[in-house]
Amino acid sequence: MNPTMLHVTRRHFLRDSQLGLGAIALGALMNGQAKTQEPNPLRPRAAHYPGKAKNVIYLHMAGSPPHLDLFDYKPTLVRRNGEPCPESFLRGRRFAFTSGVPRLLGTPQKFAQYGQSGQWMSEAVPNLHGVADELCFIKSMHTEQFNHAPAELLLFTGSPQFGRPGMGSWVTYGLGSESQDLPGYIALVSSGTFPSAGNSCWNNGFLPSIYQGVQCRSSGDPVLYVSNPNGMDSGMRRLSLDALRDLNELQASELGNPETRTRIAHYEMAFRMQTAVPEVMDITRESQSVINMYGAQPGAASFANNCLLARRLIERGVRFVQLHDWGWDFHGTGSGRDIKFGLPVKCRTMDRAVTALIRDLKHRGMLDETIVIWSGEFGRSPFREGRTANGANLGRDHHPFSFTLFAAGGGFKPGMSYGASDELGFDVGENPVHPHDLQATILHLLGLEHTRLTYRYQGRDFRLTDVHGRVVREVLA
Amino acid sequence: MQRWMLSLVVVFLSGASTFAQSPGKVQFARDILPILSTHCFTCHGPDAKLQKAGLRLDLFETATKKLKSGSHAVVPGNVKDSELIARVFADDDSQRMPPKSAKKTLKDSEKALLKRWIEEGAEYQRHWAFVAPKRPVPSLTVGAHKDWTRNPVDQFLRARMEKEGLKPSPEADRYTLARRLAIDLTGLPPTIDMVDRFVNDKSAGAYEKYVDQLLDMPTYGERWAHVWLDLARYADSNGFATDNARTIWKYRDWVINSINKNLPYDHFTVEQIAGDMLPNATQDQILATAFHRNTLTNDEGGTSDEEFRAAAVVDRVNTTMQVWMGVTMACAQCHDHKYDAISQEEYFRMYAIFNQTEDADKGDNSPNMLLITADEQKKKTELEGTIGRLEKDLLIGNPKLDAAQSAWEADKKATDKAPAPIKKILALDGKKRNDAQKLDVTKYFRSTLPEFKKVSDELAMLRKQYDAVKGVPTPIMKELPAGKQRVTKMHLRGNFLDQGNEVKPGVPSLLHPLPKDQPANRLTLARWLVAPENPLTARVAVNRYWEQIFGLPLMESPDDFGIRGKAPTHPDLLDWLSVEFSSPPPKGEGPAGGLGWDVKKLLKLIVSSAAYRQVTTVTPALVERDPENRYLARGPRYRSSAETIRDQSLYVAGLLSPKMYGAPVRPPRPKSGLTAAFGGSTDWETSAGDDKYRRALYTQWRRTTPYPSMTTFDAPARTVCTITRPRTNTPLQALVTLNDPVYVEAAQALGRRIVKDGGATLEAKLQFGFRLCLARPPRDVELKRLVELYTRAQTEYAKNPKLAQQMATDPIGPLPAGMQVGEMAAWTVVGNVLLNLDEAFAKR
Repeated sequence: MNPTMLHVTRRHFLRDSQLGLGAIALGALMNGQAKTQEPNPLRPRAAHYPGKAKNVIYLHMAGSPPHLDLFDYKPTLVRRNGEPCPESFLRGRRFAFTSGVPRLLGTPQKFAQYGQSGQWMSEAVPNLHGVADELCFIKSMHTEQFNHAPAELLLFTGSPQFGRPGMGSWVTYGLGSESQDLPGYIALVSSGTFPSAGNSCWNNGFLPSIYQGVQCRSSGDPVLYVSNPNGMDSGMRRLSLDALRDLNELQASELGNPETRTRIAHYEMAFRMQTAVPEVMDITRESQSVINMYGAQPGAASFANNCLLARRLIERGVRFVQLHDWGWDFHGTGSGRDIKFGLPVKCRTMDRAVTALIRDLKHRGMLDETIVIWSGEFGRSPFREGRTANGANLGRDHHPFSFTLFAAGGGFKPGMSYGASDELGFDVGENPVHPHDLQATILHLLGLEHTRLTYRYQGRDFRLTDVHGRVVREVLA
Repeated sequence: MQRWMLSLVVVFLSGASTFAQSPGKVQFARDILPILSTHCFTCHGPDAKLQKAGLRLDLFETATKKLKSGSHAVVPGNVKDSELIARVFADDDSQRMPPKSAKKTLKDSEKALLKRWIEEGAEYQRHWAFVAPKRPVPSLTVGAHKDWTRNPVDQFLRARMEKEGLKPSPEADRYTLARRLAIDLTGLPPTIDMVDRFVNDKSAGAYEKYVDQLLDMPTYGERWAHVWLDLARYADSNGFATDNARTIWKYRDWVINSINKNLPYDHFTVEQIAGDMLPNATQDQILATAFHRNTLTNDEGGTSDEEFRAAAVVDRVNTTMQVWMGVTMACAQCHDHKYDAISQEEYFRMYAIFNQTEDADKGDNSPNMLLITADEQKKKTELEGTIGRLEKDLLIGNPKLDAAQSAWEADKKATDKAPAPIKKILALDGKKRNDAQKLDVTKYFRSTLPEFKKVSDELAMLRKQYDAVKGVPTPIMKELPAGKQRVTKMHLRGNFLDQGNEVKPGVPSLLHPLPKDQPANRLTLARWLVAPENPLTARVAVNRYWEQIFGLPLMESPDDFGIRGKAPTHPDLLDWLSVEFSSPPPKGEGPAGGLGWDVKKLLKLIVSSAAYRQVTTVTPALVERDPENRYLARGPRYRSSAETIRDQSLYVAGLLSPKMYGAPVRPPRPKSGLTAAFGGSTDWETSAGDDKYRRALYTQWRRTTPYPSMTTFDAPARTVCTITRPRTNTPLQALVTLNDPVYVEAAQALGRRIVKDGGATLEAKLQFGFRLCLARPPRDVELKRLVELYTRAQTEYAKNPKLAQQMATDPIGPLPAGMQVGEMAAWTVVGNVLLNLDEAFAKR
């Protein structure tokens, strides 16, 4: 028996109920055992159809890593390094920091094939070589957005404009959460900087705020205000909550308004969160070997810590965890943003942790049910970007026309490489995949039909994939 | 629970069929349009690109014309020849409409309705919301239920209750009403003194007097401003990427001030859309146009200014139509609207109107207007005074000096050293110089003399100071001059780089036309919004005010009055209020007039109704019958806004600063340690002094990292226009009001206030604290429970002085002399509980 914890005003609940997904929620409610007055919108709900995956961990490399130096090997580009860019690729196109005719830039990283599946990877990501057969590469991603913030919004909310709900909000709206003492959708930020679109990457947009991504922090309160004030220990908190409950009960029985009892239940859940959140955020509860495997450091605010936290959160029933790691915008504007020497250094903070996450999930039998996605918001150009073309550091411009991401687990076909860019890495060569297609595919694996997961707002049934999206069946296991 | 949910489902399902069985003629707008729009318009609606078989069903002309196939979809009065009927009743899958692929099935009752409608002549009506409202007569006769109805609002409501078999609830007591009115009208609870005066006022006009008192308080404007600022998407930052600070708070102050001085809604509208284009526009009228400068700008490196300028214009079109007319235009940006007859070309006709302003996604948000603050104005006036006095000293009559000046003027070599403006005057013949020029020469000459050096140095310094007072730059709308106006072309599929045919400015033909004798520009559009023939502006406005007061709008989809919108629960009341609100006031003996767009009068009318004054007590049977309180057989009860919840806590604690207006402030907020993308820290230093206790609407609103506790209570990010905030109830909210240092400090201050002013006994103190928060005196059982809490907390803290010290002083600071640490720790716990009572969040 799980007392009702969360509550959207009935009006919203009813508004949802008249549409596709809401009808499911309504069905689930009436079959459920809720004895109290209010439905809990975060309780687990049946999907549209049985899905392979239950959870998602999205690893966002904010700024967009140079895929041509990591996973998309272009020998022709290497051969033609330094040649002027063919005119046909530039005509009618806009780039962020490049005008005129730039010079082609073949990768300075060494590539080889790894695993049974023979996945191409560069030496900048040595640990990932070892899990090559778990990965499903999509090398034909493309987007319309070539500035960070709009591209991130498109990737995470389905629209380059602000104001739409994040993917995790849609997923928790569709499926609820398995956890009753943690938020269903959590965001973790590392390397000291927010992604360009800020918390709009995990905002609930027009969906009720219970579907909002909650940012867990590495310093101070892990969830804002989860700690009692100084001077109030847990016993005193209990004492005061008991009085609060009694007074609210008097109110509920006098006026009969059901929302009062919902509020009483929420204060009890808040009390439980005060224990559950610090517990889950405390990585010292892991064995030293696990901590070492990730390269995590208790107390640090690192991407490695966040990868480990992602596993701990998913393990406790959180539906969607989103990691944003700053520092992948490789323009060549400094030695740290140089794709020859700077890139392997930056990769060290990512490669080990991501590999550990995949291995750890697999080891615990969680990988089958957990989708892991690794991506930037767009790609990087096959030429040296304009501002730094004559500098000492090698850099690439923003490139929306083709890029690479990889997925693991959750029903993605392991050891697969799907789609391709053209010979020089400019455009998609075959099997294009748009962020809307990726979103449709992720929802599909969770058992949600992207055209049916809708919410009525301003006279329109909105959905994550707007009016687009195709489930990329070719990458499904 | 299961029971009431089930009964609701029955209500949903039976919605359409009740009409089918109801006697009387089928009504197109009520009965048929919802069926067609849901099942048919995707392929046979206004969107020309998607029309199949050349059939468009939303207009009589197109639905009845001969189709390519030779048949007619609709033949009025002739079911047999109407292809629509043949198709919807077809047994054959390949023939039946809607087709299987559409995954939409018509119910038998819906098919029967379509058939009856054609039998009865297939009459088309315009969607109700696109026809201007006429003043309806309440169906309840005057005099009926005299015991309950107080004004026409009640007559409409009571009639509907009767239809639903419901009875109104009794009037709430004065304590309850005192707090309900104060929270609704000013966003703050009343003082105990105000409550007592209202409770003890036995005069007939006591209620009215109290309402007027609240409407006259400056806090009224602050409370209602935040509603408008959500619509205006007002924030103190640019939006994208670095999300740098934007200085546009003068607009926020304009909104507060306009609401407080009760600027009529039509003026309020015209000034914000086109104040800059009004004849002899005042500074305030130009400032009002900052409404549409709240659009996002993108200063990320490598972005195209034209791309984001176009995005801002699109936002202005969408926001204007949303805010004033409740019409969703946004879909028509990329394709013809699928439901409401608005074509993509018509969309860009509106776009063309907004496409003529000078702003172009510039980093400095230009064009800006410089506005002087009150403090700056004071400084300028002071400087002017001092400068004037010193100049007088300089110019004091002195024949000796005048002679010296004549000699100087005659000496070509000496005058050559004078600055250009002086030389220019000297070139004129002495008689041709005007007085000012003469003075200028004298001033200059004397300032070169050693005996005036001190005075002239001081003057130079003061003038420098005077020039340095530049004012606050505020982005405003500025129309491009005639020769520089832009040519507007369609953006194919909404892409600003993919341009189609040129379009002329105009409004959708679905709505009333722009006046022919006026240029199709922003000012004409602004006046068109508040024209008497506009069917929507008044309805949308009264619906919004109604929702703010009753928690639920009369028209349940306030963001969509189009054909896909919900039907109003009380259509006649909505129309009556709209006509009442927008009609000019009565003149002399003429016909009955209205409120002339007077918002305070509208609010007074609504809160004076008997419906508003009811108790909120509800029985399980009534919850089951009307869970949302749509029929208002009980008083309104819903959670207050994010702003009210915070402001109230600070207010009852005696912390809230009454200071109004000014630059945004930064109340305490936990540090995140993170920077914005390509920008600086997202953390801030807490404002000094009282500025950390200002009302929530003065808090700096950074779009990508909004103030966290506000977000938790459903305040939007204000990146786009928000018509309705969701109203949720979550555990994260409990964590804020229990643990956020802002609320802990409020609990501490409340405790100190209770001990200082609450009387001698424990009971008296608790009574006082309870009344500060909830206006009413506690019941005995409540008081007893609080006594127990205080006593136990005090006992615990007596055992642990270290904890007590923290609880009593962190973060508020050391205790005043004479207060005991253990007691004050316990009072903080009590304060924390009082501020977290359900009744503090939702009015009783």
